[in-house]
Amino acid sequence: MDKYKVRNNVRKLRFNHDEMTQEQLAEKAGVTRQTIIAIEGGKYAPSLELAFKIALAFDVPLPDVFSYEPEGDEK
Amino acid sequence: MSYQEKSIAVSLVSHLLIGVYYLANLFQMQQAGGLVSTRIFSLWAVVIVAIIVVNIVSNILTHILSNIIHAIKTGREEEERYIEDERDHLIGLKGDKVSHIAFSIGVLIAMLTFAFGQPPLVMFSLLILSSILAEIIGDLSQLYLYRKGF
Repeated sequence: MDKYKVRNNVRKLRFNHDEMTQEQLAEKAGVTRQTIIAIEGGKYAPSLELAFKIALAFDVPLPDVFSYEPEGDEK
Repeated sequence: MSYQEKSIAVSLVSHLLIGVYYLANLFQMQQAGGLVSTRIFSLWAVVIVAIIVVNIVSNILTHILSNIIHAIKTGREEEERYIEDERDHLIGLKGDKVSHIAFSIGVLIAMLTFAFGQPPLVMFSLLILSSILAEIIGDLSQLYLYRKGF
């Protein structure tokens, strides 16, 4: 079975939301800025609850923020 | 550096100091003619109490110092925003796991020394030493995870 990885569009979405800062997103999602940095860098896959909170912060559906794709596939 | 990292760094330095103090006393005793039960019991008591007290005091000190530094940096008296989120909890759990594994190995080594004919005082001294080392390894693994991202 292929290895899958959680990918995200957080950086792109922040850019599309008036260049929202990591600190602002962290405050909206109720986490630390370091956690947002780790998620954005693909180093940390958030829990389902936090993923929903981030999607809510951007006011978009969850699949627009996170996707589950084979490890080798780069967009 | 986040508040959690600062707190772990302070705890790491404290555990290192306690470890050095413990080892220095052990070697001193060994050179003075071997382990004496009355002296070694008091040393264990001091070390165990120190670990507990240091953990509490280091947390309070880090909190106070972080607030002072934050106030100096921003020029406002409001407290810094301290949040412990799911990533912090997971890193804490991973650190505890590494610490428990390290302590288990230490216990095994201590038991083996007893099984191979060393006196009980050596076994218990190694148990205390392994608990200090386990704390240090746990702190280091948490710092590593924070630096790496997760």
